[in-house]
Amino acid sequence: MASEVALFELGVLFAAVALVGGIASWLRQSVIPFYIGTGILLGPYVTGRVAPYALEATEFVELGAELGIVFLLFFLGLEFNLNRLLANRSRIGTAGTVDLVVNFGGGLVLGFVLFRAFLPAFLVAGVVYISSSAIITKSLIDLGWIANDEAEPMLGTLVYEDLVIAVYLVVATALLLGGGDVGAAAQSIGIALVVILALLAVVWYGTPLFERLLAVDSHEFVVLRAVGITVLTAGAALALGVSEAVAAFFVGMAFSSTGHVEQLERLLEPVRDVFAAVFFVWIGLVTDPLLFTSVLTLVLVAVVLTVPTKLVSGYLGGRIYDLDARRSVRVGLGMTTRGEFSLIIATLALSGAGTTLSEPVAQTIYAFAVGYVLVMSVVGTMLMQYSESVEAAVVPRLSTVLSDSAAED
Amino acid sequence: MGLLCPAVGAGGATDPTHRGLGRFNMRPGQTTGMTVYESDLPGVGKKFEIEIGGEERLVIVTHNTGKREVFLKATEGADSEKLFELPDRLARTVGTILEGAYFQPVQSEQVETMLAEGTFLEWYNVDDGSEIAGQTLADARVRERTGVSVAAIERAGSVVPSPGADTIIEVDDILVVIGSQEDLQGFDALVSNDADSPE
Repeated sequence: MASEVALFELGVLFAAVALVGGIASWLRQSVIPFYIGTGILLGPYVTGRVAPYALEATEFVELGAELGIVFLLFFLGLEFNLNRLLANRSRIGTAGTVDLVVNFGGGLVLGFVLFRAFLPAFLVAGVVYISSSAIITKSLIDLGWIANDEAEPMLGTLVYEDLVIAVYLVVATALLLGGGDVGAAAQSIGIALVVILALLAVVWYGTPLFERLLAVDSHEFVVLRAVGITVLTAGAALALGVSEAVAAFFVGMAFSSTGHVEQLERLLEPVRDVFAAVFFVWIGLVTDPLLFTSVLTLVLVAVVLTVPTKLVSGYLGGRIYDLDARRSVRVGLGMTTRGEFSLIIATLALSGAGTTLSEPVAQTIYAFAVGYVLVMSVVGTMLMQYSESVEAAVVPRLSTVLSDSAAED
Repeated sequence: MGLLCPAVGAGGATDPTHRGLGRFNMRPGQTTGMTVYESDLPGVGKKFEIEIGGEERLVIVTHNTGKREVFLKATEGADSEKLFELPDRLARTVGTILEGAYFQPVQSEQVETMLAEGTFLEWYNVDDGSEIAGQTLADARVRERTGVSVAAIERAGSVVPSPGADTIIEVDDILVVIGSQEDLQGFDALVSNDADSPE
């Protein structure tokens, strides 16, 4: 058995999460920064420095966090619908590509200026590119925007980002775990491609099997079989050096073509929420807030640059969906929030520490990503809540500029 | 409280066959002179916009969790004002009332449809204490005793079409029957809580 206080420590973790979750909801904020903050406060770097005793990122917590990543991506796959993307490829494709070029491109430039190397730049680009579907979707519902026209370009762009992030994680994992030189990286990308092809075959041919496996009356068996398949596949992928998150994404996609998708979503949502909470707390537990002081400038520069990039790409996305200026501004405001996926990329950076990335660079990118998400999750939520003031300030000027440029033509 | 998106996941209400049809675009569907726009909300559910006269539009968001949110838009481009939200079951009940069907079956004697001269289609509620409750259709010998045929059974909101001889009649079933006016009167006694049998 584990040490006699291990269960108590886990209890403290979950009780704290439950408490701050309530506070976040009362403050109309996203829970994610609050969970991370809880991890930082209770962890070895804050409580541990002033008290003889603090929560640790034990092996159990670490594995729980891993499961959080797996289930987050599993749900992404479950919700992902290739047909829907293809049916709307022109508008989603255009809006999504604008979003990708502006934000990932901007991130690459920013990362290269800061770190003077490709791999760190690639990681920074991923962190600042990917918006938080969790926080954005929740805010859309809370604010009632879900019934408005701006919901469509926002959700459409998020679908595009989901696909990009799946490919991105494959490449990033291969680059980070593949070792330093080009040959090793090429080899690990090769392995990753083979595994991805195998997973695509699973999606293609496995659906009837999954269909049969899930055709049981007992909820218990449905949950156990789905979790069994997902974690086994993700674990096998990771053992082969391929992103476990991407494997989970593909398994989710395979399940999404079965007739059990609604049932799975209903039954596994609580499982995902529990482990995702562990993931966010774990992020906090392994974050030394003193590192924030060294990345403070970095975070501020990134915030100042990447709030506008999302505003611009979101505005253009809204225009591509034929929305008026006011609604297009809203799309931009809504897409600003970054969250869970940026953190997953941050943990990837840690996995490369000491091999493909030098220890300080990995730590800097990690601390940067955590600090960045803490700021952006709050800023993004606030921008959506106070959108009316922003619209009132921006839209008249925007239309003046636009009519001026139209007059010059 | 949902950690991530409270509405992502879960299901029940949305027809699973609608997934993957690529109906992300708003697409108008004509229903007797009014336009209904349907669109997918990835990760959330579906949105229906109904033109309700003048510039106004009713917006119904059906979440994957089954929750329905109903909004009103003053014009096509206006912000949606939320009117109310309903959980799945309640939404279905309210929908049935709006449809006008909800109270019909129970008020048995007021609902009848004449199929041909002298032959009627009628709905009867099986009362607690009805002598045929708990029997199979075969044992109840409905046709032999009354001349009435049981065409369908409505039970707990769903319909059993063409029930077989071994279908058991339960209290609070609504029997959809066909027969002559005279035969139906005899049948009424079988399903109601009366002591006297027509035999």
